Amino acid sequence: MAYVMLIIEPAGDRGIRAPEVADARYEAMQAYTDELTRRGVLVTSQSLQSDARGVRIKAQDGSVRLTDGPFAEAREMVGGFFLLQNVNRDEALAIARACPAVDFATVELRETGPCNEA
Amino acid sequence: MSDARAATHRAIEAIWRMEAPKVIATLTRLVRDVGLAEELAQDALVAALEQWPSEGLPDKPAAWWVATAKRRGIDRIRHEQMQARKHAMLGQDLLEEDAAMPDFDAAVDDDIGDDLLRLIFIACHPVLSTDARLALTLRLLGGLSTDEIARAFLVPEPTIAQRIVRAKRTLRAAQVPFEVPPAAERAERLSSVLEVIYLIFNEGYAATAGEDWVRPELCSEAQRLGRVLARLVPGDGEVFGLLALMELQASRLRARTAPDGRPVLLPDQDRSHWDPLLIRRGLAALAQAEALGGALGPYALQAAIAACHARAARADQTDWARITALYDALMAVAPTPVVALNRAVAVAMAFGAQAGLALVDSLGDDPFMQRYPLLPAVRGDLLFRLHRFAEARQAFLQAASLTQNRREQTLMMERAADCVR
Repeated sequence: MAYVMLIIEPAGDRGIRAPEVADARYEAMQAYTDELTRRGVLVTSQSLQSDARGVRIKAQDGSVRLTDGPFAEAREMVGGFFLLQNVNRDEALAIARACPAVDFATVELRETGPCNEA
Repeated sequence: MSDARAATHRAIEAIWRMEAPKVIATLTRLVRDVGLAEELAQDALVAALEQWPSEGLPDKPAAWWVATAKRRGIDRIRHEQMQARKHAMLGQDLLEEDAAMPDFDAAVDDDIGDDLLRLIFIACHPVLSTDARLALTLRLLGGLSTDEIARAFLVPEPTIAQRIVRAKRTLRAAQVPFEVPPAAERAERLSSVLEVIYLIFNEGYAATAGEDWVRPELCSEAQRLGRVLARLVPGDGEVFGLLALMELQASRLRARTAPDGRPVLLPDQDRSHWDPLLIRRGLAALAQAEALGGALGPYALQAAIAACHARAARADQTDWARITALYDALMAVAPTPVVALNRAVAVAMAFGAQAGLALVDSLGDDPFMQRYPLLPAVRGDLLFRLHRFAEARQAFLQAASLTQNRREQTLMMERAADCVR
């Protein structure tokens, strides 16, 4: 089975944390990523730039509208993701709870699958 | 057991499956005996199952297990030293390491890659029977319990337990060193490792016996091992060939069974259910195998064949001529009757059922093939296509009587029934 772990950060957190805190988190996440690769279960992972530099695209009333970030109403943002493969649910949960991001963000675990099913 | 306690146990066992190779590899380096290392690790797992539900999970489970196993190992060695001096040599390193290296994190993470590779080579050592290698690999590198291994291979648990005990005894008697094999032995030893991984994969992909047509958890285990190995041995074309083959085959896993568990054969599969990500990864691994000069290795050739299927958007777009040519190349390096049978299928698709049937019939004298259910299954299919229904029916019935997989048996009986018209 394949799972995605979404790292959901509180909005604005990146602007207020101390640089050494940012570096320590980054290093911990790097070590964690290496470990998952060593175990043969990580397909890919990626951290994302802040949503302040993101764009939202949505069709409305027949035309496509673009909204530049930061998004005023957003209280959290996806800060990165991991794609795991060949793990069962128990293993995915064990991997997620060992993620360093649980200390400073919310880790959301989702199984992959077709989106046209209920 | 309460629900919460059961959930914690499941969590601990999941962590164990992922950390076991690291823990056992580290302990094997410390005690120089894989059997002893495995026993100490098992003791430590039992301790975790007792303590963690009330104390909570430690931050670094692998380090906790190594520390606990070391402590128990030291107690045991001291005890034995008092009893008799004969095991002193075996444990001396552990006692010295204990004095020199109290940092358990360092003990675990220090050069774990090499230790893991050594462990893989030991578990797949040619001194062991194939069955023993499979069981030991799943035990040491997959972190599976004897019960899980027994269920995977549909044999009674005591059989697997015995197999593992005997394997550890054999390794001890042969004094197999905990090392990456020297250059002269390396190719042969590596091919034994690849064989074990592929056998595990195949037992999951085309279960030879039992109720289920596929057992994906065995495929998963093999794919993980293949990726681990590709990281540890990045320069070997066949390692990537095997990885490519497994990723490409696994891309079809979801399409190979109907919702009710019935097998769906390649031409009838809904290709939109093939996993595009696994196909991309498989093709990338195949390109890597070819770049490393492994294009003509048996695994890379089989991966290249699987890639022909993966690249065809519809079954009737399959490049059977190329597949036949790849089977010709495969016959040159791995001339087995099973490869010959697969080649016959490709020939039938490329050049007609009659041409394929002649090849299939030439394989019937081989004693292995006489018990191999896919021979009459293929023969029945070709006869069916030639409208020789009575003979086709006989062949399908023979295939049904030879297979020990219930799903396959049902499929063959249905095909036999289709011949009556």
